[in-house]
Amino acid sequence: MSAQENQAKILVLATEDCAYPGADATGQAHMSYPENTYILRVRAPVMFPEKFYLDCFTKGIYGIIIMSCGVECPYEGAYNALAARIEKVYAIMRDQGLDSRRLRLTGICTVCTRAFVKEVKQMNDLMAELGPPGSGKKAA
Amino acid sequence: MEDEDKAKETTSGQKVGVYVCHCGGNISDHVDVGKVCENIKNVPGVVSVRNNMFMCSDPGQEMIMEDLKNGTIDRVVVASCAPSLHETTFRNAISRAGGNPYIYEHANIREQVSWVHHGDNATEKASRLVAAAAAKAKGLQPLEAFRVDARKHATVIGGGIAGLRAAKDLADRGIEVVLIEKSPFLGGWTAKWDHVFPTGDNASDLIMELAPQVLNDPTITVYNCARVTSFEGFVGNFKLGFKTQSPEKGEYEDEIKKMIESGKKPGEFIPFVGVSPSSGIPDASEEHTVQTGAIILATGFRPYTPRTGEFGYGKFQEVITLPELIRIIAENRENEPDDTLKVNGRDIKSIAMIHCVGSRQIPGIHEEDEDKPLNQYCSRTCCSAVLHAANMIRETHPKTHIYDFYRDIRTYGRGQEELYEDASKNKVVFFRFEAQDSPVVAKNSGPGDHPLLVTVKDTLTFGEEIQAPADLVVLAVGMEPNNVSDLVEMMKISEGVDKFLLEVHPKLRPVEVAVSGILLAGTCQAPFDIGEACAAASGAAVKTSALLGRGYVELDPFVAEVDLNKCKGTGACVEACLNKGALTLVEMEINGETVKRAQVNPATCSGCGACTAVCPERAINVKGWTLKQYEDMVDMIVADRIAA
Repeated sequence: MSAQENQAKILVLATEDCAYPGADATGQAHMSYPENTYILRVRAPVMFPEKFYLDCFTKGIYGIIIMSCGVECPYEGAYNALAARIEKVYAIMRDQGLDSRRLRLTGICTVCTRAFVKEVKQMNDLMAELGPPGSGKKAA
Repeated sequence: MEDEDKAKETTSGQKVGVYVCHCGGNISDHVDVGKVCENIKNVPGVVSVRNNMFMCSDPGQEMIMEDLKNGTIDRVVVASCAPSLHETTFRNAISRAGGNPYIYEHANIREQVSWVHHGDNATEKASRLVAAAAAKAKGLQPLEAFRVDARKHATVIGGGIAGLRAAKDLADRGIEVVLIEKSPFLGGWTAKWDHVFPTGDNASDLIMELAPQVLNDPTITVYNCARVTSFEGFVGNFKLGFKTQSPEKGEYEDEIKKMIESGKKPGEFIPFVGVSPSSGIPDASEEHTVQTGAIILATGFRPYTPRTGEFGYGKFQEVITLPELIRIIAENRENEPDDTLKVNGRDIKSIAMIHCVGSRQIPGIHEEDEDKPLNQYCSRTCCSAVLHAANMIRETHPKTHIYDFYRDIRTYGRGQEELYEDASKNKVVFFRFEAQDSPVVAKNSGPGDHPLLVTVKDTLTFGEEIQAPADLVVLAVGMEPNNVSDLVEMMKISEGVDKFLLEVHPKLRPVEVAVSGILLAGTCQAPFDIGEACAAASGAAVKTSALLGRGYVELDPFVAEVDLNKCKGTGACVEACLNKGALTLVEMEINGETVKRAQVNPATCSGCGACTAVCPERAINVKGWTLKQYEDMVDMIVADRIAA
């Protein structure tokens, strides 16, 4: 457990109907991307409270990409509720001195392989620039 | 006793068995499986770590079953391919061992690790994902699937040969069928063909064998001129809306004209058109709704239309496509036999046939439209079809010579290599070209009365430039899927970049799409010949019968659940609920006091978890996907060392 111990870890919350199969399609196409990404399959990311995201940063996750179904969301109203919650998380992040770019909400479809790789690479580049989440100024 | 066992299973969850798959080498070529097992064995809760060359094989599954049966483990994690492939396989294995299928968690270390990462980092990532899955597995509880009645009714969309085949096979199994066809006619592209390879059957005979069986079957209702307008529901209980209406002006004009000219009645075959069902063409538009258990998509293909100027198409009237030639051959058969093929009274002494038109297109070589990707696939059927046509012409009109320009000959199927051999015996002359040196079709300004001249750099003669005069140039056009973006959108099914519909897995779950209860038949999923399309259609019909035959379907029990030990009745969840009525506050007695508590209606809860996020007491969760489980997974991902 050494090679990657100090690497910037990126958490990807991928919807089981869209983004998770999209990540699988990326694999089927053997399109490489940074290995510090950890993809968790979720039914709908609307299930996570604000605290979940903030706790992830406290625990040492560098960045989080929520890969939702976007307008394709099978749960009516869930995407809007999610988007509203993410706005709240951004506000708290700003209060705590966390760069809000560490949390990104995006839509990835089942065949969006290029978009998937692009999102992951962009977040990875940003993490290299920002460093660990604790390094910014933090409110008491 | 049974309840006691269940209680035991519920409260334990501390004995996680982890099974790591090599997938032949698909995983183990890039991930050190031995090291993953070593890393994982000290993760809290993990009591057994084993690996197998193929976990999905019988011996692989038996490893799990054996450990469950002898009580070594009570939770299962398999680290292998994507869960869409084998989650069900392993859940079924657990059921066969007498366990609850929902004590299972999947770690995806092929599509999301070994196929995208390499070296030590791949092994490290795989280890963490497996550790996270084990952490989640510890929190899994046995669940009971919902059983919902399934209608013994299926809807087939598309009335080509695949749709007809599927409808008939379903009806034979006692399943009521609605067949929806968008055009006025049944028969699809098969009805627009002449003799078909490899058997030489007359296509009209095939349609006239099948279409009357469908039209005369009392369990099948056919709607032509029909388009799907709405879709809702789930396997066993879909609700499909569709509209029948007379074709708009210009739509199917040629076909309708041919029908009128032919004087054929409904149920009779109209050459190069198809069969009109007894209802004829509807005059007025009408909305329909059908409650159906399963849907088979048999939406078919259309031949590639060459661009203007592609091999002279649209520029020279002597350049035609293979489907156009087929019609000419059939029309000639009605005339007196002649040594020379005739087109519009003109003697055709020389035909140039060009393969791979609109297939196997290469970026940088073939012109690309902005809104349409190149057809990079092989259409598979055109080599055999064009050579079959060449043989028919050479055998009937020996004074018509044929020059065949190909990139590769792919007469791949049984009885099809013979078509190539026959073409050679029939003195068809072959030239081979590279994609970047495609034949050039130009006006013939040289001697002779042939209007066109085809020039090619022939690799069979080591790059010699060869010219062939031609009276007719025939383009062996490929297949493109019909545009079904409206259905794709409505039904949330997957399509490839080539726009053909995607099955879950070509070997393990053929003709199934990821949405349970929707199946594929024929050329909507790939270029197929008629035999292959019918085989796929029969496959889809059998799978549909198996799905609906039990009279019920089982749905995943992933709905919200209230922990009454924590619920304080704040009502935040009820307010956040996106499916009104799925959550309510009800009065109940707890410890002698009447209190309000949240209650879930599992029949209407969609399991999105919007309630989970807002509960200040963390008292409501979606079964099998709790917030605590996600927190545990994140802990494993960030842990300094995954083992305790």
